[in-house]
Amino acid sequence: MVFTLSVNGDRLASTADPVTPLVDVLREEFHLTGAKPVCREGFCGACMVLVDGKPAPSCLMPVALAADCEIRTVEGLAGGGTLNPIQQALETCDAVQCGMCFPGMVVTLTHLLTTTSGATRDDIRAALTGNICRCTGYERIIDAAVLALAAT
Amino acid sequence: MADVSATMDLRRRDASDKLRGRTRYTIDRYLPGMLHAAVLRASVPAGRIVRLDTARATRMPGVHAVVTAADAPGKIGIGIADHPLFARDVIRYDGEPLAAVAAGTLAQAQAALAAIEVEIAPLPALLTMAEALAPEAPLVHPDWREHEILLEGGARAGNVAWEATVVRGDVDGAFARTDVEIVESTFRVGRQNHVAFEPRAVVADYEDGRFHIETSTQVPWTVRNATARLLGIAPSQVRVTVPPVGGGFGLKFDLAIEPFAALLARASGRPVRLVNSREEEMLTCLFRENAEIRIRSAVTREGEIVGREAVVLMDCGAYGGEQIFLTTMTAHTLGGNYRLGSVRLVSRAVYTNTAPNGAFRCCNGVYNTFALERHTDEIAERIGMDPLAFRRRNVLGDGDLGATGQVFEGDVLGPMLHRMDTLRDAAAPPRALADGRLYGRATTVGTWFVFVGPSAATVNMNADGTATLVTSGVEIGSGSMMQSLPQIVASTLGIPPETVIVRAADTDAAGYDVGVGGGRTTVSLGAASLSAAQEVRTKLLKVASDLIEAAPDDLVMREGRIEIAGAPGSGRTIAEVAARAQAQIGPISGTGAFTGAGVQAMPGCVAGHFIGAIDIPIFAVHDCEVAVDPETGHVEVLAYRVVQDVGRALNPRAIQGQIQGGVVQGLGYALHEEVTIGANGRVCQNGFETYRVPLAQDVVPVEISLYEGAPSIGPLGTKGAGEVPILNVGAAVACAVANATGKRVQELPLTPPRVLELLLDRKQDIALPHIAAAWADNLVRPHNQPDRS
Amino acid sequence: MTAGSQVQDDRTGSIYVAPSLSAALDALADYGPAGAPFAGGTWIMRSPIRHEPLRPHYVAIGKIPELSAIRIGKDAIEIGAAVTHAALAAALAGLPEFAVLAAAAGSSANPAVRALATIGGNLSALDFYAADCMPALLCLDAAVEIASRDASERMSLADFLKRRSTFQPGRLLTRIIVPRTERKTAHARLPLRKSGDYPVAIVSLSVNVDTASHVQAVRIAIGSVEQTPRRWGRLEAALLGAVLDPARVADIAAELAAEFTGRDSVEVPAWYRVSVLPSLVRRAAATALAN
Repeated sequence: MVFTLSVNGDRLASTADPVTPLVDVLREEFHLTGAKPVCREGFCGACMVLVDGKPAPSCLMPVALAADCEIRTVEGLAGGGTLNPIQQALETCDAVQCGMCFPGMVVTLTHLLTTTSGATRDDIRAALTGNICRCTGYERIIDAAVLALAAT
Repeated sequence: MADVSATMDLRRRDASDKLRGRTRYTIDRYLPGMLHAAVLRASVPAGRIVRLDTARATRMPGVHAVVTAADAPGKIGIGIADHPLFARDVIRYDGEPLAAVAAGTLAQAQAALAAIEVEIAPLPALLTMAEALAPEAPLVHPDWREHEILLEGGARAGNVAWEATVVRGDVDGAFARTDVEIVESTFRVGRQNHVAFEPRAVVADYEDGRFHIETSTQVPWTVRNATARLLGIAPSQVRVTVPPVGGGFGLKFDLAIEPFAALLARASGRPVRLVNSREEEMLTCLFRENAEIRIRSAVTREGEIVGREAVVLMDCGAYGGEQIFLTTMTAHTLGGNYRLGSVRLVSRAVYTNTAPNGAFRCCNGVYNTFALERHTDEIAERIGMDPLAFRRRNVLGDGDLGATGQVFEGDVLGPMLHRMDTLRDAAAPPRALADGRLYGRATTVGTWFVFVGPSAATVNMNADGTATLVTSGVEIGSGSMMQSLPQIVASTLGIPPETVIVRAADTDAAGYDVGVGGGRTTVSLGAASLSAAQEVRTKLLKVASDLIEAAPDDLVMREGRIEIAGAPGSGRTIAEVAARAQAQIGPISGTGAFTGAGVQAMPGCVAGHFIGAIDIPIFAVHDCEVAVDPETGHVEVLAYRVVQDVGRALNPRAIQGQIQGGVVQGLGYALHEEVTIGANGRVCQNGFETYRVPLAQDVVPVEISLYEGAPSIGPLGTKGAGEVPILNVGAAVACAVANATGKRVQELPLTPPRVLELLLDRKQDIALPHIAAAWADNLVRPHNQPDRS
Repeated sequence: MTAGSQVQDDRTGSIYVAPSLSAALDALADYGPAGAPFAGGTWIMRSPIRHEPLRPHYVAIGKIPELSAIRIGKDAIEIGAAVTHAALAAALAGLPEFAVLAAAAGSSANPAVRALATIGGNLSALDFYAADCMPALLCLDAAVEIASRDASERMSLADFLKRRSTFQPGRLLTRIIVPRTERKTAHARLPLRKSGDYPVAIVSLSVNVDTASHVQAVRIAIGSVEQTPRRWGRLEAALLGAVLDPARVADIAAELAAEFTGRDSVEVPAWYRVSVLPSLVRRAAATALAN
């Protein structure tokens, strides 16, 4: 069976088994390796993508159920060589270390920025409870979100 | 020899691609024609392999190669070579590799694993150090005498894989004095998983008769050399390259799964990808070791420490690995911080039938600092002295002797404690906790050091005015390769740091390097890079001197130009000079090399140590405030402060990022992260549901003060800054919780059940009967006696 | 232990996206033991880490309109089984009588998982002991509707919990019905970290008090402490008629807590789950009074 997916505006076809996690289809068939399969349990958030505009861990979504959705991955958040506001803020704050969690962080925070313009530091922390970072200790990521919120 | 400062808050050049998901880590490399590999692992902690038949597996669909112990004749280790790639005849831990398969898809490889026929006769398993040290315990390595010895001097016997001792002064005399209090404390800590987000991953190929290993590692040269040793080939037959690494923390400071992929690539003639599953990472992690510690001190009423002795048991798991080396650290961590009249210490790496342990950020230091600082508080309480006053009185200062008799230079810890006083006093006064929770605070000190050791660097001056830095350094996330190294080269050459190209690690391109870890990147690789850049500078100035008709000494390099000092705009651009040089005498390059200074211990003080004295000590002072919920045992960290000795801060903002991250990793160790081993010998925490790392709501912003100016042989006065932030977090949290609850904290992590046990007095004092009462009875042979085994 | 165990083997399973409830029930009946409903997937997709095989066939129920609807009526609310935790928490905001359920649905797991995980899945995952919504619904006297191709049956949630492991294949939890009444409710959960854990103990409380704060009716459900959540009947009985004083409630709970046998697990020892119950009961009572 072939599934047709809409990813970052492109129509792409997958021949994977229906229960295959979306993250594996994105990475292995579509070469979109931004999403990272770190825990495969929905706890770490490193494989987060936007599904119909909402953050979803792509490890928990079977490709069969992603077929009718608009999927946006970290690669598709900003056009050309640009950064979107939260990516820009994270760069400005020198927040990145190993970088493995940032694709997911960026997806979650991109959604927060567009839906919760008045978010407080506590709101940001709560929004990030499904995104683990092992390097940074979070505070700079929160600083960057505050900075990006102030600029919007 | 630089005309512009190397100090700046340079941003990372790799951030933008990492933020856009474009960076290709090892796990993201999918090569054309690549096969997928999987490793068959033992599911018992101890057993004899009766039969291992791969015939059926090799005929399974899609299978291209199957390899077993017969393909890897060598053994590796540090100090002793005790570790084969695959279990041969005997299984020593749950998860030990038995065979590896490469197939067209991962699913085919896994199906083939299931088709390997294995028959194992279980053997009794030793799951704890107490069991391993019991008098009639079976031996994890019955053949321990046959292990090849790679470093002479360590005492070994039976399940004691390695023993390192320190003896300085008359300890018996100190403990016999009538004017001292004797304080004894015992401690126990569990394992910690690094949880690097990128699992161990490798893509290997066999090209032109040599192996090319692309891997997620901190130690490309170790991977090269150890792979060769296991496979029984020349090290020069192995080339290792390293893409950006998705987190290391010491986990990747050792060989991992690279040889499996290498063997399968050679056998199949195809590139082979092997990536650990998260479960494999959780169960076979080279954890920070669990440890048991007894420490005793003889202290006068005035607070002088006249004698100290300790026994530290470190669980190395089934094979010695890093633990053998890490027995060295006790002398400098548990034996650190304070002036001691006399001291004797033994650290013993003990074999058990559990997954081998490894290195983890401030390895050994975090728990020995926890033990030392809690012991210090127990001493202060016993003699009725304020714990901070006790520390001020006793911290190491200029000219003081360390545990191994080395002489420390400079007053560092004293002024750092003073600076912490200022920070603490400037903060809001302790919160009255209206919610019924118990408030506690503590200030702790810690001693760490830079692992110096060999590094090499080459700087190639390009005709366009840029420079290429070639080293075997790896970017593991700390930023040293992206920030401090280009800053050092750029300031030496007077060019913008963005124009210093940093070559990714490739053992075919750059010289030997110990690896990225131990706080050594900026120091050792930095020193080699500085020296290489200085050679380039000298050569460029000579060419420029002819062009500009001025003596080299009168020239400066800044803003991309070589000019006569004091005459901005004179001279030529560096690009012009480099191009001229290239045309006239050939391209300009420089090489640099570095290793330790070789500070010595006092003769006779150490035995079985890999590092007798420390070239570059690093000190840290941490202060922590906590609230403890007396009903649930939950500990909340209210505030955290760090004064860290950095020598010189080349990139203060980057260092602060390391401190925030390191402290939070330490909070995980102190409060949340627990590894337990079940009766079946398997680690119980197999994923992120049960292994809990700190999340965004569990952390606080760390207040940071960088202490500069302490002596250092590091380039430009630097010390490593990324390793040490985790050092005294467990100590600070434990002391604060002890102060909040009035209970004797002897164990980490302080999970809610463990704290509630303390509060409810359900918890007995930790007894360690396998540590003999008389210190010397713990030794397999007396300190500094030759091996008679 | 074998390597890479989280990755699927070479099976060719199926997921049927059911357009209607009857189509879903037909498919489930046809598949029999080889099939299972697939709602949010947050439990099923984690089968590999539990070393459980996937079923050959799944029937996805997320696109069935009536299963994704929440109907707030005058006497009861009806929650479709495929309603997500996030949607449920949002729909109940501003209804204080359902504060317990809103808190349960709004605090479980993490935000992205709450947006996927469904209430029906929460009640149907037999081996998931820390479900937040189960004790919350128990203290609200919820009933559930179970449908199969041939029949539909309504039962109390308590009965459902007793019987759910014995249901034949082909059955589907379709709706949860919660009666509406004046009451104060609260959900007290205890995770091990401040954020993002499954709770090691849960107290869900619903109480009616008169103007003098005397308890006229009370339901207390305990979750995560034992394998199956249950009402704490003796504590409820002891509180009836008296003033709802959180400290006193905790004292009584402490006297009665020994009736729970905590479950031992990797996270915490059994005694701990029981030991924290009195303070959770106190917190729930204080929160309910404030709601």
